[in-house]
Amino acid sequence: MQVSLRLNGTDRTFGCTVHDTLLTLLRREGMASVRFGSTSGETGAAAVLVDGNLASADVVLAAQADGHEVTTLESLNTERGLHPLQEAFTATGAMQSGYSVGSMILGTLALLEHDPNPSEADIRDMLSGILDRETAYVKPVAAIRQAAALLRGDDVEAFEPLVLKPMTDGVNAVEVADDDPAPDAPAAVPRVVPSPDVPEMAVVGHPEVKVDAVRLVKGNPAFTADYEMRGLLHAKVLRSPHAHARITSIDDSAARALPGVHAVIHHENTARVKYASGGQSYPNPKPHDQVSFDNVVRHVGDRVAAVAADTPEIAAEACRLIDVAYEVLPAVFDELETRLDGAPVIHAEEDTTDIADREHNVVHRLHAHRGDVEAALEAADHVYEQTFRVHQVQQCPIEPHISVAWLDSDERMVVRTATQVPFHARRMLAPLIDMEIKDIRVIKPRIGGGFGAKQEMLIEDIAAHLAIATHRPVQLELTRAEEFFASRTRHPQTITYRTGVAANGTLVAQDMTLVGNTGPYGAHGFTVQIVSGLRGLTSYNCDNKAFNCDVVYTNIPVPGAYRGYGAPQALFALESHMEDIADDLGMDPIGFRRQNWVKVGDEMNIAPHLGEGGTSDEEFDEYPTVESSGIEECVAQGMRAISWHRRNDPDWRAPADRPHIRRGLGFAFCMHGTAIPFLDMGGASIKLNDDGSFNLLVGATDLGTGADTVLAQIAAEVLGVPLDHIIIYSSDTDMTPFDTGAYASSTTYISGTAVKKAAEVVAVRLRERAAMLLKVDTPGSIELRDRRAWTADGRSVTLEEVALDSLHLNEQEQIMGTASHVSPDCPPPFAAQFIEAEVDIQTGQVTVTSMVMAVDCGVAINPITASGQVEGGMLQALGYAHCEEIVLDDDGTMVNPSFGPYRIYTADEMPHTEVFLIQTMEETGPFGAKAVAEIPKDGVAPALRNAIANATGTRINDLPFTPERVHRALNDA
Amino acid sequence: MSRATSYHRPGTVEQALALLAVEGNVALAGGTLLNADDDPTPVGMVDLQGLGMTAISVADDRIELGAMVTLQDLRQDGSVPPVVSDAARAELPSTLRTLATVGGTVAVGDPDSVLLAALLVHNAEIHVAGPDGTGGAPLANALSANGPCEGRLITAVSLSIGGTTAHEAAGRTPSDTPIVSATARRTGGLTTVALTGVASTPVLVDPADPTSGLEPTGDFRGSTDYRLHLTSVLTDRALASLGGAS
Repeated sequence: MQVSLRLNGTDRTFGCTVHDTLLTLLRREGMASVRFGSTSGETGAAAVLVDGNLASADVVLAAQADGHEVTTLESLNTERGLHPLQEAFTATGAMQSGYSVGSMILGTLALLEHDPNPSEADIRDMLSGILDRETAYVKPVAAIRQAAALLRGDDVEAFEPLVLKPMTDGVNAVEVADDDPAPDAPAAVPRVVPSPDVPEMAVVGHPEVKVDAVRLVKGNPAFTADYEMRGLLHAKVLRSPHAHARITSIDDSAARALPGVHAVIHHENTARVKYASGGQSYPNPKPHDQVSFDNVVRHVGDRVAAVAADTPEIAAEACRLIDVAYEVLPAVFDELETRLDGAPVIHAEEDTTDIADREHNVVHRLHAHRGDVEAALEAADHVYEQTFRVHQVQQCPIEPHISVAWLDSDERMVVRTATQVPFHARRMLAPLIDMEIKDIRVIKPRIGGGFGAKQEMLIEDIAAHLAIATHRPVQLELTRAEEFFASRTRHPQTITYRTGVAANGTLVAQDMTLVGNTGPYGAHGFTVQIVSGLRGLTSYNCDNKAFNCDVVYTNIPVPGAYRGYGAPQALFALESHMEDIADDLGMDPIGFRRQNWVKVGDEMNIAPHLGEGGTSDEEFDEYPTVESSGIEECVAQGMRAISWHRRNDPDWRAPADRPHIRRGLGFAFCMHGTAIPFLDMGGASIKLNDDGSFNLLVGATDLGTGADTVLAQIAAEVLGVPLDHIIIYSSDTDMTPFDTGAYASSTTYISGTAVKKAAEVVAVRLRERAAMLLKVDTPGSIELRDRRAWTADGRSVTLEEVALDSLHLNEQEQIMGTASHVSPDCPPPFAAQFIEAEVDIQTGQVTVTSMVMAVDCGVAINPITASGQVEGGMLQALGYAHCEEIVLDDDGTMVNPSFGPYRIYTADEMPHTEVFLIQTMEETGPFGAKAVAEIPKDGVAPALRNAIANATGTRINDLPFTPERVHRALNDA
Repeated sequence: MSRATSYHRPGTVEQALALLAVEGNVALAGGTLLNADDDPTPVGMVDLQGLGMTAISVADDRIELGAMVTLQDLRQDGSVPPVVSDAARAELPSTLRTLATVGGTVAVGDPDSVLLAALLVHNAEIHVAGPDGTGGAPLANALSANGPCEGRLITAVSLSIGGTTAHEAAGRTPSDTPIVSATARRTGGLTTVALTGVASTPVLVDPADPTSGLEPTGDFRGSTDYRLHLTSVLTDRALASLGGAS
């Protein structure tokens, strides 16, 4: 059929099918800014303006748009520069991955057309249909305010951090006066407390604009789905309707006969090669319990078969035509029940080895200890024991998993894919498709969020198998429902702490018993639980510690990596436990923690025993120590910002005018890690161009975090050039150096140090070449700054002159440097998390009204992107604590696989959010940096739990704090 | 993935009714549910946008909302009763509110629809056109009849205006679809209360005994008992917000 519409101001007529959506039509016409997030309009990633109204194009038929005016982000791209709206989103750091930024900008356009001076409530209402897992909507609100001001012609101040005076000496606690006013600034502005140990720098530490901003705010092709391929086929996966079953027969003849179908693959025609899908360093932890297609399915949504066809619709229809007979087997979902005698054995097959106790579904049995916990508990003045249960949630990247695979003209396999681990994916893919690593190229374009879900070789093998079978490019993009139940999730756990405390409040023993539910496959199951033990037993000094853990198989959707990686579970339990001990001892909750938390110079005394390589009970000669900590300043700033004194004010806690409301404040102490010592490795390569600019190649993987920007800032600082003279490219296994990938809070610290080292190699040679031009015989005395090389006596040459001389004129050479970095250290970032919440004691509804996090991440290379990491991390952590949960029915089918039933926070309901960045100088990090990406996930759940306890006196040890659970707890108390 | 196999855009109600009489054809209003449905059963789409039905008009003590009035229109039109306008805002987020319509909302009869509850307390009547002519019926009757529009087309919804209103809800988060909500209105000494989340559609209940006859289906957001508990609490609050005795 023909559809005529006015598209971006031009009358156009398009041919389309009856069932084409407006999203399909617009993307086919090259409108890359309109992006797929779901087919039900729920993400807003595909929102465009229809007759000036913001509307999700994925629930509008193309035919419905006939006769209407449709506007996409591309309409603003009339000049080489940016539209004022795009300028505002860029200047305020209002996008991370930028996957949905087009919708936000279009919504702003419509909003400001209606009201040039909208209220914050109206701004948030406009954003309510555009889900964002990255910014917590904080900086988008600031961007829209700035955009409105720009369009009104008002003066607009530069968006910069608010620099604060320290409240402490950096070591000792201070009293925070009740009437000490909190700094006044918009929520989006990061509050930065500088350290005297950190020198002023030209690029590092400054709020530079993201290097990928232009392509994102203009909606240019950037993501995997945005690159068109001639002859592209579309894949769909037939998934198991059963939680546990044996496939007794599979008949694909009807599917193969369907016109438009090019290949059907399943266990009968695909090689059985064992692997583990977690994107981890070589050798991937065992057991290797997966194959591309198996004859046993182990969760609802497990792979059964896959089809490549001309269209997604044909592929889906072909999947329905595959006739599969199942022998349904008993299933088990609970991590405690699965260990019982008689529970169904989930991996009975002989070719999966290295299972600790196959009959009881225990895949790993882990133990580590220091000292003698039992003796210390026996001798302790007080002993406390509590059990906590944490649930299953999904990462919810707005861009679902997507891979496109094809054989290039040399018949090498090329996979463009939304991955956090391109190099791991290449290595892991090779044996599955019977190709050598050298014959595979993995390209990572921009990624629309990952959060760990994409630290996995999840679908690349299916796309590659189908590309081989068809000799055509094949794209596989998960649906939103598949993203929920056939992707990866956070591990549910049951955690028991026992803690012995001396009469004076000093910890004398602490042990953690953990049962971790890794679902049907062990992907990340070992390391996530190890990290739970590491993080759950490192925050506090104590000579006697023990970790006992069973990692168990069940038939739930597969858990895997999720930002925080075991720490959010552990710290929920630990910080709830510590709160209750303080309460029972009659001690101040922060004071009790302070008495015991690790400080500069303290050993992290169980850390080496809980490594990715395994657990160890052998004593080490040396233990890592804390070298930097800004926790006291974090606590002081956070207490002032949240008005901590109110927690003891009965009039505030029980407002007279709202008799069913109780208010409370909660705190959590957070300590995380920075990269995996001796394992995480990043490489970088830098070369000089004719004009004195540099190409920087890194294998590091920017998920939208701003990693490319931060790495380029580091290079620019060393080389004495502005940021726009560093052209960064990441990542492509054919082009860029190796990097383990974006996980474990490692990129700034590990890849950043590699960049710094590579830049220093280049800088040395630049000085030598400049010395030749300047006729100086001490190259080391030359300083690089402002795109020039300077002698001590003030003479200089430009880097362009150095480049032209070295490339074209004298003793020609390509000035370049390559370096890599692996660290023996894992310096912990610290943070103080504060939550203000209200509890409706009649309904059980909890409303979070404020979140304040003060983070010591060392030196924030870019305070805007760093604060964005904290804001987005808190949003996800709030969802984990409060409202998100994967719910399975009795048969293991997820009952809420869409946004709405699976509730994630929207812009119009977010609490007030503030971020403080407390600088410390971490000598082992690049320019003093530590990690910031994951620590924001750690404190919200326990701080909210403790706020509820402060409000009501009720302690709740299960997540999430949904109304009926809270109501039940209040009534049971 | 749309399941449309044909698309029609009739220009008159008569044409629409003729098309809807064909088996497999369905009325397409905003499309927020129909186009999102992943049921592979093919359907013919009868798009109602060519019929107009987008006016909001006030006469005497009633306001008439055309069936194709969008929720965004309800939100922005100053003549719409506040509790209806607020409910339109709460019903759907910004990117869907511009598409979803009053008629579509009524036709679906979502048990969690706060907009339907707001319409109920405003004594909503639906206007329909069918092969046998036009007619009207109280919304409450139509909802309880479980399929008010079988073979007929909703053309408008009219409401009585005035009175004082209140709305109370409980959900996981402030903007969550409420687990249970209570919407109350008092006018001329008469109090009405409509609930969501306690029956197969939003329902009017006895303000003095709101749980009477209710047997809500529990789910992961709220068990049967919890929903009944919320019914009492939220109804009490809504009535208290109205002030005075009911």
